Amino acid sequence: MTSDTVGDRGAPARRALGAVLATSLIGLFVLPIVALFLYAGYGNVATAAGSAGFRTALSFTLLASGIAVCFGILLGVPLGYILARYRFPGRSIVESIVLVPVMIPHLIVGIALLVLFAPTNPFGAWVAGLGIPIFDAIWGVVLVMVYVGASYIVLTSELAFRSVDGEAIEAARSLGASPIEAFATVTLPQAFRGIVTGSLLMWARGVSEVGGFLILAYAIYPSFPYGGPVTNTASVYIYNLYSTTGVQAAAGASALLVLVALAVFVVVRLFDRTGMAWTKVGWFA
Amino acid sequence: MTDIRLSEVVVDRDRFRVGPVDLEIRSGSATVLLGPSGAGKTSLLRGIAGFLPLRQGAVRVDGTAVEQSPPERRGFGFVPPGLGLFPHRRVRQNVSYPLDLRGTPNARARAQRWIEHFELSELAERYPPQLSSGQRQRVAMARALAGEPRALLWDEPLAALDVESRDVLLRLLRELIEAEGIPLLLVTHDPATAFALASNVVVLEEGRVRFQGAVTALPHAPLNRFMARFLGFENLFSREELLAAGDGPLPRALLGGAGPSGIVVPEDALSWTAASSGNNLAYITSVRWAPRGWILTLRQGALAFYVHSPSDSLHLRVGDAVRLDLDRTRLRPLTAEGAS
Repeated sequence: MTSDTVGDRGAPARRALGAVLATSLIGLFVLPIVALFLYAGYGNVATAAGSAGFRTALSFTLLASGIAVCFGILLGVPLGYILARYRFPGRSIVESIVLVPVMIPHLIVGIALLVLFAPTNPFGAWVAGLGIPIFDAIWGVVLVMVYVGASYIVLTSELAFRSVDGEAIEAARSLGASPIEAFATVTLPQAFRGIVTGSLLMWARGVSEVGGFLILAYAIYPSFPYGGPVTNTASVYIYNLYSTTGVQAAAGASALLVLVALAVFVVVRLFDRTGMAWTKVGWFA
Repeated sequence: MTDIRLSEVVVDRDRFRVGPVDLEIRSGSATVLLGPSGAGKTSLLRGIAGFLPLRQGAVRVDGTAVEQSPPERRGFGFVPPGLGLFPHRRVRQNVSYPLDLRGTPNARARAQRWIEHFELSELAERYPPQLSSGQRQRVAMARALAGEPRALLWDEPLAALDVESRDVLLRLLRELIEAEGIPLLLVTHDPATAFALASNVVVLEEGRVRFQGAVTALPHAPLNRFMARFLGFENLFSREELLAAGDGPLPRALLGGAGPSGIVVPEDALSWTAASSGNNLAYITSVRWAPRGWILTLRQGALAFYVHSPSDSLHLRVGDAVRLDLDRTRLRPLTAEGAS
């Protein structure tokens, strides 16, 4: 007998309590954003959009986060696949390590990376010798973004690969597909949605990062592939606005950054809906 | 014509070993690997298909050894128990998959032939999750055949099907054997499937072959306790039961010396009629309904016999007496456990 059956007098009260709790959380998610837009108003958003400094910071952030997501996919998807498909000694340790960046405060991530890549130690000296600038450069930003965000790609792609029907892969092999063809035509298309979700989460996490950038890459000087003026990431730029100019200017830039993030989210979801119609039927609906 | 020959094939799955199995499967015939869950049927089929390494033995297709080849080079159409349909591809794309892989000219038209053959035209633009179990089975069969396999290997083809879908699939499989001449190797736990489809049968128990031969010989195969239960013989009596029963209806004399370990009483050895007095009386101790009639438990002495009464109505009740006669010429010896 379920709680909804006739005679269960407590059911309406429980449903009401559940609705109140759920609505409270949704309200907590939405109301600050609404308040931000109402406070900022069109004028402050337009001011931020017209600011050359913020536009530079925003375009730099999009560039760095795009590169970071590429690295995240390159490194995270294979790890997710390995964790989903293979049993090996130390697998649970690897899974725990993947969660470490999610648990560590990100200011500490910045300090840890600073210590590791300092040219005063052999590893830092070796990296510096390769000609890859880390401090106050785009590669420092990419490094922080990958560190704090790649876990999401690993976790979501692991789940996605796990959900792929092993029998479908075997059927593909029996029908003539090599292991690579079976991966490309059966495994990857089915795991694609999870990888896209993980990439979106990683991108959002990277764009919203502040702590690690404050330590490792506060001011960004030009270095390949970024050739613009000295700038900050968008989040650090907004933090600076808040510290120096006040909450009004910071709210305008914040609202604009939220709009950009929402636009990226909507584009990805539209792609998701049109390109993967099969996920809307039956087992996946 | 394709000829598939297994020689001394042994497959290991973890610490479980299946085989050795010698088997020949010819065009236009169906062979069924039969056995209960855990008997090793699926492991053997996966070994033949190339998804489990053979510990020893050879798999030859028209004389060519393929046991070292990867699954995609063996030319078998392997259908796993869950069918392995691609949920992200439409029915048409599923069926044309093996043709697309090879870059076959007119892949769409060739796939269409199988789509029509299996009456899937109206479903061609749907995705597998939108289909019923029976429709999905037909898609799996169409896709496997579109790849022009040298043999079809199918693990539990009739599992999870309703009676109607089951009959449709059996008809399609029979047509396939007759019209296309493709050898079939099927795995099932259900003897009824074997009788409905197979020309040859291999019965596996705990990885060992318990019976191998023509399906028509299966009812007459030597019986151990497993085979007797598996083939649906319900009246099995061990040596201990018979000796403890005293001077009951069954011949204890059979059990002397190196005689059988027990007796199987086929149902056609039993005849019974309602009676309240006379010789060979037995008493009804339970009555239950089964799909094809009543099942009665008749106790005679210390032994209980199960008999079927096909009539819709039954006027007998628990406690009633019946006359139970036994045709001793039809009794079958039960061999020791593990012996075939």
